Order: sequence, then structure tokens, then C-alpha cells
Amino acid sequence: MTTTVERPRPGAAKAIVLKDVIVAEFLKMRTVRATYLTLAGALFAVALGTLVVFVVAGAYDTAPVAEKATFEPADPTVVVMPFVAFFVGCLGGLASTTEYGTRSIVGSLVAVPRRGILVAAKVIVVSAVTPAIGVVLAFVSFFSAWAILGSRPRPFNPWNSVGDAIPSVVATGVAVLVAALVALGLGLLLRSTTGTLVTLGAVLLVIPIFAHFLPSPLGERVASFLPSDLPAQLTASNDQYILSPMGVLLVMLLYVIAALTAGVVGFKRRDA
Amino acid sequence: MIEVRELTKTYGQSAALDGLSFLVKPAQVTGFLGPNGAGKSTTMRIVLGLDRPTSGVALVNGHRYESATRALHEVGALLDAGSVHPGRSAFNHLYCLARSNGIGRSRVSEVVEQVGLAGVANKRIGGFSLGMRQRLGIATALLGDPATFLFDEPVNGLDPEGIRWIRDLMRSLAAEGRTGRFARDVFVRSPKARELAELLTGAGAKVVLRPDDALEVSGLRAPKIADLAASRRLPVHELTPRSASLEDACLQLTRESVEYRAPGATTEASRR
Repeated sequence: MTTTVERPRPGAAKAIVLKDVIVAEFLKMRTVRATYLTLAGALFAVALGTLVVFVVAGAYDTAPVAEKATFEPADPTVVVMPFVAFFVGCLGGLASTTEYGTRSIVGSLVAVPRRGILVAAKVIVVSAVTPAIGVVLAFVSFFSAWAILGSRPRPFNPWNSVGDAIPSVVATGVAVLVAALVALGLGLLLRSTTGTLVTLGAVLLVIPIFAHFLPSPLGERVASFLPSDLPAQLTASNDQYILSPMGVLLVMLLYVIAALTAGVVGFKRRDA
Repeated sequence: MIEVRELTKTYGQSAALDGLSFLVKPAQVTGFLGPNGAGKSTTMRIVLGLDRPTSGVALVNGHRYESATRALHEVGALLDAGSVHPGRSAFNHLYCLARSNGIGRSRVSEVVEQVGLAGVANKRIGGFSLGMRQRLGIATALLGDPATFLFDEPVNGLDPEGIRWIRDLMRSLAAEGRTGRFARDVFVRSPKARELAELLTGAGAKVVLRPDDALEVSGLRAPKIADLAASRRLPVHELTPRSASLEDACLQLTRESVEYRAPGATTEASRR
């Protein structure tokens, strides 16, 4: 049965305020458990990275002097960062797939039928929240390693001062942002949480492994263009890569634009 | 006011809607009846901008719903009470939607109270019974205090207590509408319509003068209109307050959808 009851409207229509939709999207993110589970995942990756640094530092201390010189810099960022990007990036995917998975997208679109505004609010919230979390986690990771390494000398201790860590912290923030926006685009397109997260995981964590098995220098060249390896090139610590920092930003931008365009166009055109 | 013109929706080969046109006027409770698969829900989804029609238009208050700002103030919709995130609390679910339309916490508390969910407002929706979810869906529709309500199978799966509750609620919505708007809506026919219109306008009423010597008067009650006309010796041929059957219609319609009745009992619900 269907019923329509008409009653007087309370006042004239108020102007749309994107701000309200943004606040609502942030609220949606904060009020589901999945958000905290992904953050726990990211924190777990950081903890594992810290543990590795702790173990390596122990091995370094007991190693003979000659062998100490062969130790790689104990920077956990390289290992931890792709996982942080994956877990925090999930938030971007969940921002849309959660609503499709539970069908609560119906209520969201009835409340905010202007899809452009709804999706813009999602992009803005994801763009603001995820890199902030990425930067915080990068700092946590750095300070933990920094505290463990203490006064051990370079190059095993990768940092002379806190300032030395800034580039990799910024790179983590950028990596997380790119992963989250690509995930948001994928989520809008695929609508399935599983599909989106598996795709994101494949792109960020699995494909790089295959690339690294390619013969040199082909492997490095391919890796240079992978989302997982782009942030590392920003800090310019590895000269095997072929992209300049500007080139890196450009490729990142292309990934984000491609994923978001596909997602947003699909979101605006398809039936909810 | 809902206007649907030549609406067609095809999924592949099969047509869900084929040239549907109707007009739901303000001040009416309108039942939308049809067997399963007739396209009732599809029509409502198109009216609410969730699905795109293959051809034709659906207008809400004269415009496409997709262009609505602060849409919760315009239409209160209950499409599928199951379309909610089970992990959110009832309050947070409502507040997420309310916030996107600039509606505050106090209004959320009000509707939670109104639908009888105050005791479980902070419980996760996942643990709610179908009846509680239905109440939550009604609460969503009430949030923006809209002039138009769209309910899709509001008593589906409810126990008798829940059915009675929804009937009472709809009755009170209809009654509110009547006191708010229709009780003051009076249809007047007079050979001196023009003079009478001026007189009534001067007395503070809103008057629509129709070409057939008829007036639609709002803002004055019938006895007052009669007194004013008599004071100027203006003849009145017809004087009809236009609210009488609203509540009855609503009750008849809800009775129609309540099919728990002994065989042989009469159903005289009005079909349109």
C-alpha cells in the first residue's frame, strides 16, 4: 500500500549547504565499527613494523663490527607504509560500499538527492580524514623506531634528527590519500565492499610483488608506475626508480582522476 | 503534489512501467494499489530520484526530486525499513540523515520519542525487530516535518499492534494536515464571485478565483465566510469545507492493506 499525505510546508526551502552533508558523511564514518577495525589493522601494521625494528636493532647490537656496515637502514616506512595505505585507504572504499552493502544508500539519497553534492561530501571527508590518519600513524611509526634505535649510528639509524623523517611522513600521508580516493572511486563503481577491498589489496600489496620479480631494470621501471611504489619515489631515496617527484605526483593524480571519474559518473548515472 | 507523466521503465526486455501517468494533488491521501510486480515500488523509486525512468518525468512539488535541497523537509519516505546499517544505533542512524539536512539532535530525539523508540535509541539497529525497524523508517520520514509522505507497504510484516500504531499515526498526520491547511480551505460558489473575492481578500483570506464563478478560500472558516457574504447581501450558492473525508479515506486505505480479516467481511475501500 502507498499513501501520500500532504501537509503545509514549514517555511520556504532553505539553501543547500554542502557543509551539512560533509558533517553528515563524517558522522557516518565515525558511527560504524568497520572504521575502527580498519584503523586497528593499520595500527597493527605499525606495531609489526616497530617489532621488526626492535628485532633488527637487537641483531645489529650483537653483530660483529665488520658485519654492522652491511645492515640496511632500519626504516620501517618501506614495509609498513603500503599496509597503512591499504588499511586507511579502505575507509575511502567503505565510504560508499557500506551504504550499498546495507542498502542504506536509499535513505542517504532520499535525504540528499543531489548526487553531485553527496559524492562531493564523500570525496572531501575522505580527503581530509585519511591523510591525517596516515600522517599520525607515520609519526607513531617513526617515533617508535627512533626511540628504539636511539644513538645507534648512521646509516643503520636512518635519521639524524626528527626533521629527517618529515619527507617519509608526508609521503605516507600522500600515499594514504591516493589509496583512499582510488578506493572511493572503485567503491562507487563496484558497490561491493569485498570487491573493492580485494581490488585495492591486489593493486597495493600483490601486484608490486610480481613487479619485483621482473628482471632489472624492467621491474624497477614497472614498479615506478605502481601506486604502491609511487610514494617512496617522493622521498627520492631510491635511485632505481625513473620518475621525478613531479612525475610521481602526476601519475598519482592520473590514478585518482581515473578511479574517481569512473566512480562518480557511474554513481550519478546508474540506478541506486 | 506528485505528478507523473508517461513514465516508462524497462529492465532489459521487460517493462516494469509502461506509460504511467497520474497526479497526486495536495490535501489528499492517495492509495497506490496493484498486484505484486505492478511497478509500485519502481514508481516510487523513480519519484524519489533513486532510479532513472527510461522515458517520462516524475515531479515532486513541480520539480524533479533530484534537484531538491533539504529534501527531508519536502518528502518523508519509507521505502524499505530494512535498508539501514545494522551496526549504527537508532539515534545515530537518524542523526546522520538529519544532519545532512541541517536538522539538529533535538528533532531526532523528538521523532524517536514520537515513534516509541526512545528506550532503544542507543541500541544497534541490528538487534531490532521488523516492527522496530518499521518505526525507525517512519521516524526517518518524520524528521524534516515534510508536507508530503510516501510510504511503501508501511504495515508489511507488522503485528496487529504495529498495524494499529501506523494507522493511528497516519490518521494523526492526516488530521494535522486538516487543521493546518484544509480546515481553512473552503469551496465557495457565487454569482457575485468577483465581489465576494474582494471582500474576503479584504478580510485577510487567500482567495483563488476560478472562471466558473467559484472561489477557493483559505484563511477563513465557512461560517465567517457566510457571515461576511450576508453582511454585503452577496448570494452564495455553495459553501463547502473540503476536509471531511480525509480521515475516512486514510482509514479506508489502511483498512484495505490490512488483510487479516475473516472471509466474507466486506472491503469497501475506495480504489482509484
